[in-house]
Amino acid sequence: MRLTQGTFSFLPDLSDDQIRAQIEYCLTNGWAVSLEYTDDPHPRNTYWEMYGNPMFDIKDAAGIMTELQACRKTFPRHYIKLNAFDSTRGVESLKLSFIVQRPGQEPGFVLQREEGKGRIQRYTLRAYATQQPENQRY
Amino acid sequence: MVSTRSSTVRDVSKRYQAGVMKYAQMGYWEPDYQPKETDVLAMFRITPQDGVDAEEAAAAVAGESSTATWTVVWTDRLTASEAYRAKAYKVESVPGSPGQYFAYIAYDLDLFEPGSIANLTASIIGNVFGFKPLKALRLEDMRLPVAYVTTFDGPPTGIVVERERLDKFGRPLLGATVKPKLGLSGKNYGRVVYEALKGGLDFTKDDENTNSQPFMHWRDRFLYCMEAVNHAQATTGEIKGTYLNVTAATMEDMYERAEFARELGSNIVMIDLVIGYTAIQSMAKWCRRNDMILHLHRAGHSTYTRQKTHGISFRVICKWMRLAGVDHIHAGTVVGKLEGDPFSVQGYYNVLREMHNPVDLQRGLFFEQSWGGLRKVMPVASGGIHAGQMHQLLSYFGDDVVLQFGGGTIGHPMGIAAGATANRVALEAMVFARNEGREIWNEGPDILVQAARHCAPLKAALDTWGEVSFNYASTDTPDFVPTATAA
Amino acid sequence: MPANETSLQAPEAESRIDIDAVLRESRVEEVLERLERELIGLRPVKTRIKEIAALLLVDKLRGKFGLSAGPPSLHMCFTGNPGTGKTTVALRMAEILHVLGYSRKGHLVAVTRDDLVGQYIGHTAPKTREVLKRAMGGVLFIDEAYYLYKPENERDYGQEAIEILLQVMENQRDDLVVILAGYKDRMQRFFESNPGLSSRIAHHIDFPDYNGEELFEIAELMLTDMQYQLNEEARRALVEYITLRRGQPHFANARSIRNALDRTRLRHANRLFANRGGVLTREDLVTISAEDIRASRVFLSSGEGKRHES
Repeated sequence: MRLTQGTFSFLPDLSDDQIRAQIEYCLTNGWAVSLEYTDDPHPRNTYWEMYGNPMFDIKDAAGIMTELQACRKTFPRHYIKLNAFDSTRGVESLKLSFIVQRPGQEPGFVLQREEGKGRIQRYTLRAYATQQPENQRY
Repeated sequence: MVSTRSSTVRDVSKRYQAGVMKYAQMGYWEPDYQPKETDVLAMFRITPQDGVDAEEAAAAVAGESSTATWTVVWTDRLTASEAYRAKAYKVESVPGSPGQYFAYIAYDLDLFEPGSIANLTASIIGNVFGFKPLKALRLEDMRLPVAYVTTFDGPPTGIVVERERLDKFGRPLLGATVKPKLGLSGKNYGRVVYEALKGGLDFTKDDENTNSQPFMHWRDRFLYCMEAVNHAQATTGEIKGTYLNVTAATMEDMYERAEFARELGSNIVMIDLVIGYTAIQSMAKWCRRNDMILHLHRAGHSTYTRQKTHGISFRVICKWMRLAGVDHIHAGTVVGKLEGDPFSVQGYYNVLREMHNPVDLQRGLFFEQSWGGLRKVMPVASGGIHAGQMHQLLSYFGDDVVLQFGGGTIGHPMGIAAGATANRVALEAMVFARNEGREIWNEGPDILVQAARHCAPLKAALDTWGEVSFNYASTDTPDFVPTATAA
Repeated sequence: MPANETSLQAPEAESRIDIDAVLRESRVEEVLERLERELIGLRPVKTRIKEIAALLLVDKLRGKFGLSAGPPSLHMCFTGNPGTGKTTVALRMAEILHVLGYSRKGHLVAVTRDDLVGQYIGHTAPKTREVLKRAMGGVLFIDEAYYLYKPENERDYGQEAIEILLQVMENQRDDLVVILAGYKDRMQRFFESNPGLSSRIAHHIDFPDYNGEELFEIAELMLTDMQYQLNEEARRALVEYITLRRGQPHFANARSIRNALDRTRLRHANRLFANRGGVLTREDLVTISAEDIRASRVFLSSGEGKRHES
């Protein structure tokens, strides 16, 4: 399967030049860019690990690309996403978030059902990958 | 403007003599009045009957929508009637429309029960629209003072929290209404939901009259739809939702349906505008208590919003609905099959999405409006739109909008999932290009063709609908057009 | 991006280039003129800057014909005493690099050792990287760069910062230009013990001290900017002041002049304030008189060389 979280998941994987252009867009808008990685892509896994703090006061995408390369080197088979945070009053949340690295193999999720009363099903989603110990997931 | 200039009768002994008196003389016309920060302001388009003076007509509207009756009553003198009387303070001719006038009226804050749309509307549009001296009357705009705004809870979720809950940022959301809206069994209906969500949409939607009919009872629909939502989440690893319409005959029925939707794990429920303001506010409170997104389908609004001379402008409905507390509201597409002038529609979007609206006559916003801390409503663009218009939709509306492609998804020649994929790819390619700094308004068609190279469903969609457009003159257009400045 | 490829296509071998048009287009002359206006004296520095600008511009033109001497190395070293205009020139240099397309953003991030080097193990690398991230796309100006290296302390973390810096200077030349600055002699010793760094510096620019006339001109320029003027007596006093002050320790060129003028303004204000009951004209408010300058301790302590900054 292909995990479709993030803004550009339906496009072919982005090249570094394309990522750089999106970062420039974020910086032009005054948003702080941050990187997060995980080996548990469950859609309700809200808190991926932060690769450092959000990067404030950055003028050029090169600074962020350096961090991204370092993150990729440390976690070559994890999911990595790039977030852009807008601190404007009334937003104070992400304005863009897209995946910039994904594992070669994405085993996907199993949907477990449990019968309830009156035809109700209880649904549980589990990532196949998380059935492995942490260091063997991807 | 010819006017008899009837002014307020200040001599108390004459003012309260039994009998009929002009509204203007009763004190409802006060051209010198300076509206207070805390006043509720309303602007009406009035078309007086022949021979009725515009100022008297405005005063009559002020009177009938506040304290007055057709004759003088001495019991006024038991009240601080000076304060409670609404004041028509400005009348001006409508540009290019002889016989029509814009009448500005100020209402004291104490005339309104806090936090009640029913009470506000009972005053402002209660009696006055049938008033005989007027041929037609339309409520164009309102300024709701912050002191009044803050008596409402507003949207239970709002744009920012909705995005965080769905984990979707930086692009419009995508939806589709299940078609045909009547006749499908629960099982077949759920199939459409599953295919559309799996293919790439964020939401699917019940239609306004999909309630509980012989071919599909509501419980059946809810169960199949939630199976489809959960299955699609497992297939994509992405949060999905379906607007379960809980509209029903009574509040008890609506609560029962909403409770069931919550029990099944739905993140959103839906109501129709026709259930009425009080029912909408009740559902807003329920959604706030239950962390549920509330989608409002504006069923019925065109009966009173579409004609320019009589009724209520949709921008006023948007303001009331932001107060009442809905998270989504259908607000027009500009390019689709339903009525919508581009500037007027942008005016509605601004009312729903901004923290503060400046006066913007071109977009039909006659008053400055501050929304205090009230959350923002996500507008929904739905009706006759397709992937080939993506550049126009993104240019008009930006990121904070739900784009709903019903026919454009389900009618796709390669199937429903392919239709959904086509829409999602078109959307992401367009957002991507815009962020890269490309001029999507002009380059849009090229960008779509490029994106279609790696997406056969998008190619099929462009081949099928690329040329479809709905070019009809709008009926509800702004009265102010930008004048060319001398260069 | 393929969109602007067309304009960069190689012209025919025999086609000509209008050098005036290229200069106009690059806006580099504007920056050079501004440098000329803003900074008094500094003749050799200005000449070097123009030479570098010319080299970069010609490199770009050669590139249009497909001629290349390899990507130019742009890292620089500015040496000279305090107050000789190194930071100001660095700002203009960043602008020049920007208009010529050698620096994408053209901003200047000025730092010293404390911004780069940490207090404990594992502290330095993140600090240095943080600074580098902010400077990417622009120019990193490291003042008194030799403090990065402390040979007397073998456990000093400065070396770590130097190594990270070196890597970036070598591998990300498109992303960052580094300017090292400080006293000339110290910088020479620093390079001797850090040959790796020295070999990556393409341009060395030496900033001479200002002479008396130049310092006087600088003072006048500063006063004009602040909307003050000197009367005849005051001009003479200032000339004397400059001569005395230059002979005293801790003299920092333009910076000492700036400080002296700040104190002069203070005394000017006090003099006007003391003269209550009188009527003030606009003239009084803008005119510095000799007593405002002569009250300085520079005059009292002349010959003693003890009090230096008042």
